[in-house]
Amino acid sequence: MRHSFLDKYSNLNSFIHELDPRVKIITTLFFLIMVMITSPVFLWAFLIYFLIELIILIISKIPILFILKRFLMVIPFILFIVIFAPFISKNGYAGSYNLGILRNLGGGFYNINSVLVIMNVVLKSFLSIIALILLSSTSPFSQLLLGFRKLKVPSILTNIASFMYRYVFVIVDEVQRMIRARNARNYRGKWIWQSKVVGSIIANLFLRSYERGERVYLAMLSRGYNGDLILNYKYKMRWIEWLYLIIFFVILTLIRLFIG
Amino acid sequence: MHIPDGFLDLKTALTTAIASTGGLGYAVKEVRKKLGDKHIPLLGVTSAFIFAAQMLNFPVAGGTSGHFLGGALAAILLGPWASLLIMTVVLVIQCLGFADGGLTALGANVFNMGIIGGVFTYYFIFIPLKKALSKTKRGFLTASAIAAWASVFIASIICSLELAISGTSPLNLALPAMAGVHALIGIGEAIVTVVVLAIVIQIRPDLIGEYSESEEET
Repeated sequence: MRHSFLDKYSNLNSFIHELDPRVKIITTLFFLIMVMITSPVFLWAFLIYFLIELIILIISKIPILFILKRFLMVIPFILFIVIFAPFISKNGYAGSYNLGILRNLGGGFYNINSVLVIMNVVLKSFLSIIALILLSSTSPFSQLLLGFRKLKVPSILTNIASFMYRYVFVIVDEVQRMIRARNARNYRGKWIWQSKVVGSIIANLFLRSYERGERVYLAMLSRGYNGDLILNYKYKMRWIEWLYLIIFFVILTLIRLFIG
Repeated sequence: MHIPDGFLDLKTALTTAIASTGGLGYAVKEVRKKLGDKHIPLLGVTSAFIFAAQMLNFPVAGGTSGHFLGGALAAILLGPWASLLIMTVVLVIQCLGFADGGLTALGANVFNMGIIGGVFTYYFIFIPLKKALSKTKRGFLTASAIAAWASVFIASIICSLELAISGTSPLNLALPAMAGVHALIGIGEAIVTVVVLAIVIQIRPDLIGEYSESEEET
């Protein structure tokens, strides 16, 4: 079993961990939107965003290395942008409309605009990944989902999500066993027609998961399940939550007003 | 194809988020009416299946690989609206639980892979093809193969359009590159989808709503 849980650090003990997940959801979303609408030329703003994250990171005792590892996931996307950035025309600016025709293919140099595009993407995705990890590493996943539900996300979605989160590790274990079995039988997929093997694994996996789902459903039904999950939401909005929310909003709005 | 945070600008993120929320609202109503809240455990486990299936890489050419998306497969197996819910949940878990795909880009990702790759392909490619082709197992599988290929291909085009409108990548180069790569990956997706459906038809034909009794007899 080699899974990477993101809520691995969610049961640490800190001020941030004790906050109501609703507050964390709202502040994270607000933070992400603020990061999104800040133009990449305002480096100071990004520095302050980073400092805010660093402070929360230190208070919540999440290891930094863990976050850096997660950032690796975005690298293919950044490469995609870096490859195409030289061909972005000079007269647009990053984040602006740009459907212009190829102008500087011959030159092939990174003009100031393409540098901005790359900076834009790298800075924003880095800050956003940290924010997302801070959100999911400071509250247990089930409580986070309940927080979403309290914020009026339809219960059917949060319930499916909490079931999924419960079973995903079982199914992933299953698929890893199947992959191991396949590789042990000398599978070396190289060409597209060999995808058939993957197809039969997925078919098997689907039937097994579906039948597991049916069994789970029947087992729950016989124990009085009526379509809703009753879970205990541990948090409530205390004055400290409101204070955190207000301070957060004020600081970000100030940055936006005076720097961004 | 999971767009991370920071790659889209506000207008693109907002537009796709509104479109996805609309689609989801309808899907929630539709699934509640047809399946009821009681089927949630089943949908949950099926979402876990899609998540796990997306971990499987299939070979494309000479050692490179693409990974399975499953939008078309889920729509054909479980119906388009249930599949939209499932794809959304998968994307939310990938975003929050594994930092794969962004939170502000969630609207765009749901739009590309759930609405375009699932609902749209189902109603505008799979169903018309199924009606046009002969009502046999072969016809059914052909329709699903084309739908699976199209779901990946169209979703990749929409994805590069979103990136271009956000000003993150130039349309005239990124679009052919994305579409070209995904035209190939789509073939893998089609092969996998057909193999899965063929096996499921053999073992549990009752699970595929669209594969009716009459087709079984012919």
